Amino acid sequence: MARFSKRQYQQHVLAAMGVYTALITLAWPLVRITHSVPLKVLLAVATAMPVVYVIAQLVRLIRASDELERFTHLVALSSATAVVCALSLIGGFLSVAGVVKLDGSILIWVYPAMALCYGVVHAWVRRRYGVAMWCEEVSARQYLLISVFGIGLIALALLCPHWLGDQQRGALYGVGVVFIVFGIVLAAVYHYRRKYRDE
Amino acid sequence: MNNHVRELRGERGWSQAELAQKLDVSRQTVNAVETGKYDPSLPLAFKLARLFGVPIEMIFVPGEE
Repeated sequence: MARFSKRQYQQHVLAAMGVYTALITLAWPLVRITHSVPLKVLLAVATAMPVVYVIAQLVRLIRASDELERFTHLVALSSATAVVCALSLIGGFLSVAGVVKLDGSILIWVYPAMALCYGVVHAWVRRRYGVAMWCEEVSARQYLLISVFGIGLIALALLCPHWLGDQQRGALYGVGVVFIVFGIVLAAVYHYRRKYRDE
Repeated sequence: MNNHVRELRGERGWSQAELAQKLDVSRQTVNAVETGKYDPSLPLAFKLARLFGVPIEMIFVPGEE
């Protein structure tokens, strides 16, 4: 049976991020105007589900990895856990001491903080072992689709100004720019990778 | 640790991708082993020895201390 590849992982993650973008833009704003607690719970859980799916796909990728890949994941995840735990402990004590005011919404930043630390350390460890960041599983079509998706989000915000609220339109612009930049970065990596290929 | 994986692979006319497929690892792992950046685990080292048909000591040479 074929191994779950990095390309498949990226496709699953991109699809999940597309669903997440749709939910955060179109469904999440409803949480502020509804008074129904069950509906608030449903919206909150539904919005988080694509991110939970991404985490599950990372677990799947790690399980399908070979020994060197698992080692790089281990170092990156351990470092991310250590950094986020240290920051949350320090933040927690500062909050209890009354130095900073933190409410429960800070929890929403735990995953992004871990993902950022993991990404940085993972890239460093892979370079240390001579592994190209995106290996040969990035394709030109992928970065093109990512940028097109970003352009589509911005076009939606521009063409439907009356249908969307200000917050939704701002979210579409922001996420659209992120996808376009991400697509351009992938394009640069793709061209760099073609020169870096061994053999 | 130094090794002769690249030479042994070249003698058999295999690419890194082909060797990786035979060992069920990624091409990057084969490259990391060949360039000495990564020392494989014992099971992987035995797999290499079995695949090349030579003793492990002929593939891996301890580095200078």
